[in-house]
Amino acid sequence: MMRVRRGPAFAVAAIALVALLVPLLPLADPLHMDVAHHLASASLPHPLGQDEYGRDVLSRLLWGARTSLVVAAASASLACLFGTALGLVGGFVRGVAELVALRCMDIVLCFPPLLLALLIVTLLGPGAATLIPVLAVLYAPGFVRVVYAGVLSVRSQDYVEAMRALGAGPSRIMLRTILPNVAGPLLVQFSLAAASAVVLESGLSFLGLGVVPPAPSWGLMIGAARATMNQAPLLLLWPCAALSLTILAMNALCDALRDAVDPHTQPIRLPRHARQPEPAPPRPATGTAVLDVRNLTVEIDTPHGTIRPVRDVSFTLQAGETLAIVGESGSGKTLTGLALIGLLPPAAYVSRGSAWLQGHNLLRLNDKAFRRVRGGVLAMIFQDPLSSLNPVHRIGTQIAEAMHAHFEVAHYEAKEEVETLLERVGMPDPRRRARAYPHELSGGMRQRAMIAMAIANDPRLLIADEPTTALDVTIQAQVLDLLADLRRELGMGLVFISHSLPVVAEIADRVLVMYAGDIVEQGSVRELFAAPLHPYTVALLQSAPHDDGTLPVGIRGAVPLPHAMPPGCVFAPRCPLCEVACEAERPPLVEVAIGRMTRCLRWRELA
Amino acid sequence: MAWLARRLGVAVLLVWAVASIVFLAIRLVPGDPAELLLSQGGVAPDPATVAELHEQLGLDRPVLTQYFDNFANLLSGDLGRSLQDGTPVAREIGRRLPRTLELIGVAALLAVLIGIPGGLFAAIGRHGLLDRIANRLSAIALAVPVFVVGTLLVLLFAQTLRWVPAGGYVPLADDPLGHIALLLMPAITIALGLSATVFRMTRAAVLDVAPRDFVRTARAKGLGRTRILLHHVLRNALMPVLTVLALHLGTLLGGTVLVEYVFNYPGLSGLLVDAVNARDYPTVEGVVLVISVLFVALNLAVDLLYAVLDPRVRTA
Repeated sequence: MMRVRRGPAFAVAAIALVALLVPLLPLADPLHMDVAHHLASASLPHPLGQDEYGRDVLSRLLWGARTSLVVAAASASLACLFGTALGLVGGFVRGVAELVALRCMDIVLCFPPLLLALLIVTLLGPGAATLIPVLAVLYAPGFVRVVYAGVLSVRSQDYVEAMRALGAGPSRIMLRTILPNVAGPLLVQFSLAAASAVVLESGLSFLGLGVVPPAPSWGLMIGAARATMNQAPLLLLWPCAALSLTILAMNALCDALRDAVDPHTQPIRLPRHARQPEPAPPRPATGTAVLDVRNLTVEIDTPHGTIRPVRDVSFTLQAGETLAIVGESGSGKTLTGLALIGLLPPAAYVSRGSAWLQGHNLLRLNDKAFRRVRGGVLAMIFQDPLSSLNPVHRIGTQIAEAMHAHFEVAHYEAKEEVETLLERVGMPDPRRRARAYPHELSGGMRQRAMIAMAIANDPRLLIADEPTTALDVTIQAQVLDLLADLRRELGMGLVFISHSLPVVAEIADRVLVMYAGDIVEQGSVRELFAAPLHPYTVALLQSAPHDDGTLPVGIRGAVPLPHAMPPGCVFAPRCPLCEVACEAERPPLVEVAIGRMTRCLRWRELA
Repeated sequence: MAWLARRLGVAVLLVWAVASIVFLAIRLVPGDPAELLLSQGGVAPDPATVAELHEQLGLDRPVLTQYFDNFANLLSGDLGRSLQDGTPVAREIGRRLPRTLELIGVAALLAVLIGIPGGLFAAIGRHGLLDRIANRLSAIALAVPVFVVGTLLVLLFAQTLRWVPAGGYVPLADDPLGHIALLLMPAITIALGLSATVFRMTRAAVLDVAPRDFVRTARAKGLGRTRILLHHVLRNALMPVLTVLALHLGTLLGGTVLVEYVFNYPGLSGLLVDAVNARDYPTVEGVVLVISVLFVALNLAVDLLYAVLDPRVRTA
């Protein structure tokens, strides 16, 4: 359903109404001259005064609206008919007709529109009768393009092929399927053509090449009033204002129509309310941990209310340790990573919790302090290395940039350092590769470059968000090895976010399983794979491909929608072990052994 | 290289098509240059004199012969002579073209200086006060036609305040200050609408680039706000903006008619309008040819600029 903003539509409707009703209004004759009172100022019979021939200005102004809109509507309609026909023929007949239709339009487009109109009008003589077809020719290409594109997108679609197979003729297909599909864009195009026609008509009339005097037209009025602008500046201002306001209203209607036809251009407005996070908890005694996360909760304000895609996530990470966060998409694992580095998408925010790294609470840092942490002690690499690298800068520049952001480094030193880094991440021919652009590298090399960028400042914590998902299987193993090596050499903590259990089994020391925003199980990688203590982990293990050849088993049902979370255990609706107590309230995360946690009431039955 | 050759070939074909259409169209419509030249005060001239002038100007030959001669001359770089006063068309174009180019150039510079920073700031403070004000202003700038802007500027600054002359042109060499004073108002008139276009494009492009992954990477590196905005966001946002700007400049090449008329500025489009009115065939053809060559060249330049700005295009 199309929704158009009201304001512009009403304004244009009001102007059109004036143009329609003007013959019925009790106005003076716009052509009646009264030379004795030329340039007379406002009086009762002539509220806006009289022009250089003593004609009534108000009457001419309102009649001018009629002239403008008639020319605009007529030329836009003609262009629409002509352009639609040509676009349909070009798109459907193909071959020569297609070529001719498109190339003719190219030639029209290759010429400044005003100049083209001017040439034709000069040659054929002024007047509305020439003006309307000329403007129609100018605006036809826009319609041709819209319809042609519509035909192209439709003609290959299955249902059109099906109609053809059922014996529907081309004309029937055109009218039934294509026209309704392009109706919206055509309407937008029509409004654009009409608005532009008002501009061109007034411009040509201003030059004396459009509407022929003494017919009332805003362009003519402005042109004529120029001569007397010293004595009667108002005579100039009225038609200028009328013309500009009309175009303003029509442009606004164009924008409104375009927004309605193309809803994704419309910004989504969210209710803004002050986000008051709970008071920061005191710094815990973390011992040797590099990272200590407590009760991390992320919220997102949506038009349907606030959702909490990450709830009470707590974990610690030791230096040189790899913690994997595993879950399906929508489990909150990526948002957890982004929250730690302070790069949550605009709508999301941390509502609760703390995350201590090297004496900084990451969830409470201000922008300036966070900038020093990001890319310094804390680094992150992302899933898709191609979109994560800036396409217009060289790899070396992008790596060096990370160093310059944190330390005073001389240019040549940075350059050498970049080569060392690239060599360290196993990039062949690092000197040449430093000068390459992202699109010139393979996927694996791009991810190596991303890793080089991340370790440029010797971070204490590296968050890797699905770093191998976009890569080939053989390259995946290489990148995993590289990350494992670097973690050992640099002694940094690694948070490895993944949906793939085989990958996790290869790289992780400990695993944290997330489901619909909750941690459901945590444990060492060996224990968790050998004896899972949560039905979701069990299901996840069964759904992964097995070495022994048994077929993977899918998990029935789907992840609950964020707006409709079950009140009890979030996995209950899909759980084979679900009982009444599971649906009553959210089970707590219980520590069943040291470092071994599960959020399941019936874990003993699994053990 | 093959790509460039292909583009050049298409460009030449396009120019040839435009030139041919203009050549034929102007001869098909009523109006005889010899008659127009010889008629004085509405009196029809003597047919014998008209025929003599026809022969002298070569207009008595078959249209096809004229067409081929015309193109043969064009290939040797000769645009012919004006039917009105016999001066070489190339010389008159050479006099007028730089003035129009200067006007467009100054207008484009103003538009870029206003539109790009404006668009960047508006996008940063999206939905904020500055953004809303700038959006309203750009809507107004786009709604007021150039001749209205020009006329109102004349009314305000030339007639009422008497700061600058109402219009005209003096060469830079004769009177540098006067030259600039006369150039300023028409340039501002063109720049107003153009800067609104640049503003909107920049704003949209920045909003499009800002949520991309590589901007997130730049933030993850700990870069400062200014560096992210200029080096990562704006650098990528500029490509579509420059394309649109260049296309607009192309349409302006012949589209300054109204501004030249309002400010009595002797540029290229004024020459064309006069020539069409007098059915001065060689001048019309010459001007149209120059405009379309420049237009096509500008489009080609945009493609090359794209290759400079975007390394992905370079290797494609």
